[in-house]
Amino acid sequence: MIFLKRQLPLAVTFVMGVAFAIQYYIPHPVSEEAITNVSKWMQIISGFALALGLASIFHVHAVKIKRQVPGWGYSIVLYAAMLATIIVGFWSKGETRVNGAQTALGWLYDYSMVPLQGTMFSILAFFIASAAYRAFRARSREASVLLVAAVLVMMGRVPLGQFLLPWTWDVTQWLLNVVNSAVRRAILIGVSMGQVALSLKIILGIERAYLGGGRDQ
Amino acid sequence: MKDFARRMIGIDRRIIFLLIAAAVLLPLLRPFGLPIKISPEVRAVYDYIEALPERSVFLLSFDFDPSSKPELEPQAVALLRHAFRKNLRVIGMTHWLTGTGLADDIFSRVAAEMGRERGKDYVFLGWSPGAGSLVIAMGQDLYKAFPSDYQKTPTQGMPVLEGVKSLRDVNYMVSLAAGNPGIEMWYVFGKDKYRFEMAGGSTGVIAPGLYPFLRSGQINGLIGGLQGAAEYETLIKRKGTATAGMDAQSATHFVIIVLVFLCNVFYFVLRGEEGKSN
Repeated sequence: MIFLKRQLPLAVTFVMGVAFAIQYYIPHPVSEEAITNVSKWMQIISGFALALGLASIFHVHAVKIKRQVPGWGYSIVLYAAMLATIIVGFWSKGETRVNGAQTALGWLYDYSMVPLQGTMFSILAFFIASAAYRAFRARSREASVLLVAAVLVMMGRVPLGQFLLPWTWDVTQWLLNVVNSAVRRAILIGVSMGQVALSLKIILGIERAYLGGGRDQ
Repeated sequence: MKDFARRMIGIDRRIIFLLIAAAVLLPLLRPFGLPIKISPEVRAVYDYIEALPERSVFLLSFDFDPSSKPELEPQAVALLRHAFRKNLRVIGMTHWLTGTGLADDIFSRVAAEMGRERGKDYVFLGWSPGAGSLVIAMGQDLYKAFPSDYQKTPTQGMPVLEGVKSLRDVNYMVSLAAGNPGIEMWYVFGKDKYRFEMAGGSTGVIAPGLYPFLRSGQINGLIGGLQGAAEYETLIKRKGTATAGMDAQSATHFVIIVLVFLCNVFYFVLRGEEGKSN
């Protein structure tokens, strides 16, 4: 059993990791055929992630309802909405439109999901304004620099700001293209090097947390 | 003064909500229609599409869901209108499952408005799992990745896909993204290996994070947020919801700037008074 749980996954990870790192640099038909097939496998495996996610969300909220933790009523609403969507989805055979006519699933999508998601995102504008009023203060030199930069970009990114203070447009372009790009690039390089290091550790079997079971793995 | 400042700093947040609601609603009811300036990053996308020969292959990936509809739908509509006007062959798809219905609706609506035919002038492939691995699969063989389109019509033999075997045959690609999977993923797994030119369109929130890709030439243009969409509408000379929304955005930005200014005035008044009492 230890072979199936430990040695086999480590061997598969090592072989596939090394093979497909090398594959990128070999444009031979055999190598191209291999990546074509493996990308199809990866797509199929990704499909299973949806089923896992669904099972996980059902389990988490079932526990909440069973233990009646604070806010367990929302879990019932979630269960009801999920089940209703699944039933309607099967009933509509997964189609949102048939011969141009909207199905029940299409109606559910257009008149509940679209406005609900839109509302959630729109509410952010109100909370951001309230949070900016309470928290955006020039408490230190760094906070003052951030405050001035934010105000300039807010002016330079809208027509009214460009009309009242035309120079804010150029300052905004400079801030985004030079200062922002430099900082983001530094963060990206750092993150990417970390990803390369982590990938190497996984391929070489040094990092084994993905096998589960704690440190003894 | 100190008491007034303290009262104002602790102002009921519902008053702020009302101010924002007014700033959004009033310009929508009475627009003031200020001119839109065009940024080089948006013009680059327009110029590239403008320079493409007729019947070139343009891939548009709708990598967003309904929560980002207000910002990204106007971008999609403007890009599709431009592509159809240029008589390009358009391939649409999405990496976001919950955005599939929305993407199909936008595609069908603009195609009908521009008199374009499904299967001949455009195809919507829909959603398939895998994100990065789906892009690799499309780069290897488009027909294995998507054997049929969103309407379940076999992709093999479709007039719109004539001469298209994989992503290598795409002339230009734009990912309209609200996060990941999106622009960065398309570059890493798609453009870098299969050598097609690409650009990005994004929500205002993630746009600053994409500037390093723009500066390095990994993407040749970037349409950022509602402002970017309004710029594109101005370029194609067809005003839409983005241009209408820019007045509301202008007013909202100004309300926030005034609020931040006032909050700092009250903060310094309180700090000054506290400094004196110490």
